Amino acid sequence: MPSDHDHKREEIAEEVAPLFEGGPIWRRPAAKIFVIWAIMTAIGVVIGVMLPVHIFPKMVSPQGKDALDTVVFFTVLAAPVAAFVYAIGLYSLLAWRKMSGKSDTPPPDGPPHRGSGLAEALWVGASVVLVIVLLIWGMGFLASETAPQNNVVQVNVTGQQWFWTYSYPGTGVTSNKLVLPVNREIQFNITSMDVTHGFWPVELGDQIDANPGFITHITVEPNQLGNFDVRCSQLCGLYHAYMYSHGQVVTSSQFATWLQDQGASVSSVTSYALGKN
Amino acid sequence: MSVTEHDMHVPLEGGSHETPQERHRMEHIALWLFIGGDAFFCVLEIFFWFYLRSLNTNGMWRGTNCSKANACTDGLGNPLTHPIAKAAAVNTLLIAVIMLASAAVIWFAEVQAREGATRKTTTPLIGLALLLSLGAIAYQIIQFQILPFTTIDGTYASTFEFFMGSNLAHFGLVAFIGTGLFLRSRKGKFENGSWYHLHLSRLWWVWIALSTTVLAIVSVFFA
Amino acid sequence: MTIAAPRLEDTKLGPKAGGLYRHQSFFVALPFGIFTAFIGWLVSHALLQNSNWGSDMVVTVTFVSWVIGFNAGIGTFNAPFRWLRGKDQTHDDHLYAAGVGQGWKRYWKYCTDHKVVGTQYLVLVMTLFFVGGTLAMMIRTQLITPHSQFLSPQTYNAIVTVHGMVMIIATIIMVSGPFANFILPIMLGAKDMAFPRLNAMSLWVVVSAVPPILSTFVLGGTDSGWTTYAPLSVQSPPAQDAFSITIITFVVSVTVAGINTIVTTFTMRTKGMSMSRLPIFVWGSIVAAAVGLYAMPAFLMAHSALITDRVVGTSFYAPAQGGAGWLYENVFWIMGHPEVYVILLPAVGAILEVASTFSRKPLFGYKVMIGGIIGVGVLSIMVWAHHMFTTGWAPSLADPFMLTTELISIPTGIIFLCIIGTIWRGSIWTKLPMYFLYLFLWNFIIGGVTGIYLSDVPADQYFHGNMFVTAHFHYTLLGGAMIGATGAVCYWFPKMTGRMLNERVGKWAFWFIAIGIQITYYGQFWEGFEGMPRRVANYAPLFETANQVSTTGAYILMTGWLILLYNIIHSWHKGEIASANPWHAKSLEWHTLTPVPLENFLVDPVVTSDPYGYGEPGSVPGAPAPEPAVVGASSNQGGSH
Repeated sequence: MPSDHDHKREEIAEEVAPLFEGGPIWRRPAAKIFVIWAIMTAIGVVIGVMLPVHIFPKMVSPQGKDALDTVVFFTVLAAPVAAFVYAIGLYSLLAWRKMSGKSDTPPPDGPPHRGSGLAEALWVGASVVLVIVLLIWGMGFLASETAPQNNVVQVNVTGQQWFWTYSYPGTGVTSNKLVLPVNREIQFNITSMDVTHGFWPVELGDQIDANPGFITHITVEPNQLGNFDVRCSQLCGLYHAYMYSHGQVVTSSQFATWLQDQGASVSSVTSYALGKN
Repeated sequence: MSVTEHDMHVPLEGGSHETPQERHRMEHIALWLFIGGDAFFCVLEIFFWFYLRSLNTNGMWRGTNCSKANACTDGLGNPLTHPIAKAAAVNTLLIAVIMLASAAVIWFAEVQAREGATRKTTTPLIGLALLLSLGAIAYQIIQFQILPFTTIDGTYASTFEFFMGSNLAHFGLVAFIGTGLFLRSRKGKFENGSWYHLHLSRLWWVWIALSTTVLAIVSVFFA
Repeated sequence: MTIAAPRLEDTKLGPKAGGLYRHQSFFVALPFGIFTAFIGWLVSHALLQNSNWGSDMVVTVTFVSWVIGFNAGIGTFNAPFRWLRGKDQTHDDHLYAAGVGQGWKRYWKYCTDHKVVGTQYLVLVMTLFFVGGTLAMMIRTQLITPHSQFLSPQTYNAIVTVHGMVMIIATIIMVSGPFANFILPIMLGAKDMAFPRLNAMSLWVVVSAVPPILSTFVLGGTDSGWTTYAPLSVQSPPAQDAFSITIITFVVSVTVAGINTIVTTFTMRTKGMSMSRLPIFVWGSIVAAAVGLYAMPAFLMAHSALITDRVVGTSFYAPAQGGAGWLYENVFWIMGHPEVYVILLPAVGAILEVASTFSRKPLFGYKVMIGGIIGVGVLSIMVWAHHMFTTGWAPSLADPFMLTTELISIPTGIIFLCIIGTIWRGSIWTKLPMYFLYLFLWNFIIGGVTGIYLSDVPADQYFHGNMFVTAHFHYTLLGGAMIGATGAVCYWFPKMTGRMLNERVGKWAFWFIAIGIQITYYGQFWEGFEGMPRRVANYAPLFETANQVSTTGAYILMTGWLILLYNIIHSWHKGEIASANPWHAKSLEWHTLTPVPLENFLVDPVVTSDPYGYGEPGSVPGAPAPEPAVVGASSNQGGSH
């Protein structure tokens, strides 16, 4: 007596079998779909690996690099998934298009298949696996942005319409240019004088809003020397587009010199640089 | 809800294609959906209250009575410490009680109508419920005048007065419905088993009384 | 010999039928609204101008007066006040209100016929897209060069804000307005919506909501984006009050329309139409309506508190006085995220109908798709703080919201399963609506995948507030939802207008749109990768090339939309007359006449299966239904069986 199970097998066989029939291997539908899929995936992977790296600015911290790596990883992961959908879409137009738009009568109906429990289960299952992979990736990076350790250098950031001010507590130095020592953990303490601004040191790969009435914090450890930009990422009124600062990551001694040039005393610079403020 | 046999014999309201039962079911579902939306609005009001109270930014939940002091901060931007007196609980609670009473009266009117009462009974009852709701409106407006603070006096004051304003808007709707029920009752529209609009109105009315009470409890006991 | 039964719409009404409605129309409501606004301005100006926050109070009172005046003039309040007085409308009044005997004039009036309302919505939506699109082209033109002086920063910010909000309004109503009103009741076999007067009301209330937001340009301009974050928006010019009035008015319309759609679906299905035989479009529409009912109160709350902060000095959003910008942001996004699914789900429902009809195959995985739609709706209320990853609010909640946001990709992914399952081994018929199905497929994958990038908190720490976000949501809202809506327009055009949309011109429009979308928004992904922020009137020279690419794409896209607009207008007037079922489809709307009679069906249809029986023997035939013969009052002929 044919069981439900056999019925399902039959149904699946009916749906899937024709894809594997029809002459030499390269002529069969499954092979053609596979080829389209493979080409599209390859294009996607190549784009993912080559393009962002060239377009992103040069990151100066691990977090910046994390953001870039995430983009690459997600693109490479998304390529086969997107290609799967696109390949079937494209193949449907090549092989299953039975009547062009010029005709006013439809083609004869297709097979009355309303669904396949197996396909649905596989699809949802694969989505769940993908989501778990993405979550582990994301939570992993998030966890690595741990609470600051010892010897953290503090920088206070104040946003206002329409410029940023940085102060280095204990040294008495305030500046509109953000200078940071390399290979030190920097904790930013950010607030605003008026409306919400977005403190975004672009190549440091992290950002947080500057909220009036509250102080927010992010911790970054720049590990490359070089210039970076600070832009405002939260619309803050008339000159939001111009709310920009230069930033620079320098060596520790250059940093100390710079602080003294801004008027800090030698002793305050020493204790500040040791993270004692 | 149950629909009595009486409904079956009521002529269709001009132009309506559905039977009365179908119409009633549709209006019933619509009303519950609307109450649902309003309930979420009420939840958000309460969220505002507790969020701002827990933040107490700059100490300004009940920090300073700017209106009384004619200023909010000293010359250096620090909040002046003239803590706000709480609004008198009796007013807030009494308004809620009045609305609860008017909801009870309209409920009673509905029960009477279901049992076959004539307009001679239902109309005065509805009139009483309407009067009570108008009284609540008047009282709510008066409360604005007698508060020991104004909207500029920090977030407790702001949220408290927002609750009051929201009450006023809702009471206004109730009063409109109450007026309509009163005028329609005088024409005998709720006799002979056609009490359904009275029923729907009662549901809304009771909801408003309940939400007023909840907001009153929050604003009095969590000041 | 058959005798055609007299049609309801040919009834001759008495000279007093309709009462006040006889004297009301858009041409009365407009001047009356302006007049009332003027009175409101006069009174508030005299009383309040010199008080604290006087100009905000005056603007608020003026626009509230406008909304009340316009709606009084069009007839929104007629029925409530008649109810109040106990003078109910008569049968003739109902027929007048449904447009009987008024010809084309009923399209300018408060008309309770859902088909008229649907058509009015279609015209309104196209107008709104035209306005929003013009603003978009001004933005893209400004951004051709880094230091362009085409627009001042103030004007630019104002344009960005109004472009965003007008588009949000337009996309919320683009499918639920025209099609959930015109088509959905017919799909259910019903005679009209559950609450025809509320249906007309929801349309005219949106119409009254438009002038306030357009007035913002002359009231100082809103400069805080469509999201109008506080505390910036608390400090904005009086234009912000007008903007908030638009929102509050719009919320009323969406709430009423949502209730109407849900109640209609639950209570007015024809005999045999069980919930499991509902077309998927209906499922998309009712879940969207339910999500909208949840979201709209939050919109109302956020903006009511904003108005009181501006007009009476409350301090909900002012930290110096105890408030917080985070409060606004939270309540706003509690609305803002579910709201994009209010936009998306009806469009997805519509494009799935197209997929089935033009593959000549049943919808694949109907039950799973319903689960997916409901899953999206439920999850959509749990993800809002992914818009706040970088605000500094509750950092410990970043992980949970990343989780819920990535989870939502699972039910959303089911949409792709159903589309490709439907076209799989189908008999594909590449008519114009089907073109848009394929474009939807292409675009929505890109939009969805880039959303995943943003849901990853470390990536979002780079991308927040940057043009990548803009590109992502344009791909999903324009490339996905709006293309789905365009497919819906092409699909249901013959039924709604009685004419066929020109395919050849339509294909030209399609290719310009398809290519324009890719170039425009790839340019913006590029800008985002490079680190360009959003909502900037000028930018650093390094972003110039990417911007030029994007603007070029925008002009191509604009051309496509204009060709389509021309096509719609021309075909509406002069297109080939359409038969009742040109697509040989199976859902009920195709089994009544075109033009659709006043109460949709001459004979009450009886349904014995869902509308996806392609290839199944004995299913509802896909051929056009003939006009039935003599109709007895109790005929149960079962429609087109």
